[in-house]
Amino acid sequence: MKKLLPWFTIAAVVLSTLSALMVGAAQVDNFWSALFNPSSNEILWQIRIPRVSATLIVGAALGIAGLMAQGACNNALAEPAILGTSAGASLGAVIGILFGVVQVGSLGAILFGVIGALLATALVFRLAALRGNLSSFSLIIIGIAVSATLTALVGLLSVMVTRADARSISFWSFGSFALVTKENLIGIAITTAIGSALAWKIAPALDRISLGDATAFHLGVDVKRSRYLALVALSILAGGAVSTIGTIAFLGLAAPHIARFIYGPTHRFLVLQSALIGSLILIIADTLARTITSPNELPIGLITSLLGAPVLIALVTVKNSVWKVQ
Amino acid sequence: MIKVNQLTIERAGRAIISDFSTEIPSASITAIIGPNGSGKSTLLAAIAGDLAPISGEIKIDGVNPYSLAANELAHLRAMSLQNQPFLMGFTVRQVIEFAGPADQVMTDLELSHLAERQVTNLSGGEAQRVAIAQALAQMKTNQCSTLLLDEPLSAQDTESRNRIIELLKKLAKAGATIVVVVHSSEEKISWADKVLKQSL
Repeated sequence: MKKLLPWFTIAAVVLSTLSALMVGAAQVDNFWSALFNPSSNEILWQIRIPRVSATLIVGAALGIAGLMAQGACNNALAEPAILGTSAGASLGAVIGILFGVVQVGSLGAILFGVIGALLATALVFRLAALRGNLSSFSLIIIGIAVSATLTALVGLLSVMVTRADARSISFWSFGSFALVTKENLIGIAITTAIGSALAWKIAPALDRISLGDATAFHLGVDVKRSRYLALVALSILAGGAVSTIGTIAFLGLAAPHIARFIYGPTHRFLVLQSALIGSLILIIADTLARTITSPNELPIGLITSLLGAPVLIALVTVKNSVWKVQ
Repeated sequence: MIKVNQLTIERAGRAIISDFSTEIPSASITAIIGPNGSGKSTLLAAIAGDLAPISGEIKIDGVNPYSLAANELAHLRAMSLQNQPFLMGFTVRQVIEFAGPADQVMTDLELSHLAERQVTNLSGGEAQRVAIAQALAQMKTNQCSTLLLDEPLSAQDTESRNRIIELLKKLAKAGATIVVVVHSSEEKISWADKVLKQSL
């Protein structure tokens, strides 16, 4: 039974993807025929397939980004939003837009977002390590403070851009897949592929870092380098996702925890499963967001919180020895 | 063989070890004893390459541990901590296999029946034996000649303690350099070939 579990996640993602492609404000006639004939149905091929693809990719990116954050910090609370990574990505993209270098949702915005995410995460880690050893407590507190500061800066800068851009930024900052284009879809596919490959590479080191820095070092792990690479992976993954579709609450925290609870703590396996569970939550959330009040659309962050939080609470409150909280 | 020459180590601006020199012979067990705060674990951590000295020199089989990268150092010495934190629910087998094959060391340390148990659900003594087993697996896999153990006996019952001591004696007889930190109130250190006494 345990060996079959990963297949259940895959099956759930496939079924949710098909459902997401089928439902929406407009009806897709002859769905199965249209699905296997590219460009035969404009709504399916021009709107829903790009959007659903983006949902799958962003969900996977944020799931793995959360895993990297928790693995690098050895802390159950870490996630891109808490470590300042998401706010850094937002600020990077907004600065690019403010100076007229890039537009909302463009490939350039992804580049600015990734750079912003990298700088913000590096800043949090540098500040947390100022007093010697990097403690989880200082990391989380400084992450929250840096995140709040950068979010405030995003708000201030948003009032300095043109009205049209300000509207797009406002829409984007709440998290929306409406800004997905073929161009930025390719962009986040690339950042997600690079970030995932890096995450896969350093996963065995993160297994050992979970035993503490000293033991990981005794076993031959270059802890500093592995942690640095995990943060690069986290920044590329979260930076690409946030700069394209805005901040999606909770997913980076919930997806790795749910994956860990079901499948255990081995990081290589968790890279795959956090990606699948991130995609699953996001595709269900996006389908609900665009169908509950159709033709209007709800902010997707609301739905991810409503879906992810109860699952996470249930997992933590039942007997759980996957992550021992000291 | 381990050579420690005029070693000084500070922590938070306070000298924990000052101008300390000793030689630890190979094919033997050396116990470091002393009261709390006397620098027993600090000395072991310095030998392991964890804590860079302010001055002085350490050599393990002629090699300065601080000149090596982590993966090279893992072939020079194996070490287990006094209180190994187990936060994630890996199984006992998985944790040992991070270092090398688990079956033989689990048999040696009476852990075979716990092989599939999560390390987050172990007693203090069991967790301590898992940490020792991991160091032994690393020693075998990487062919390290030096084994460093920080208070490996503190949470063991008499039977497990005797079993571990016999195992260490066997390893020393086969040529290993073994250094064990022991709380001085624990017992008479009759099983050690050399005793280093640290004082406050």
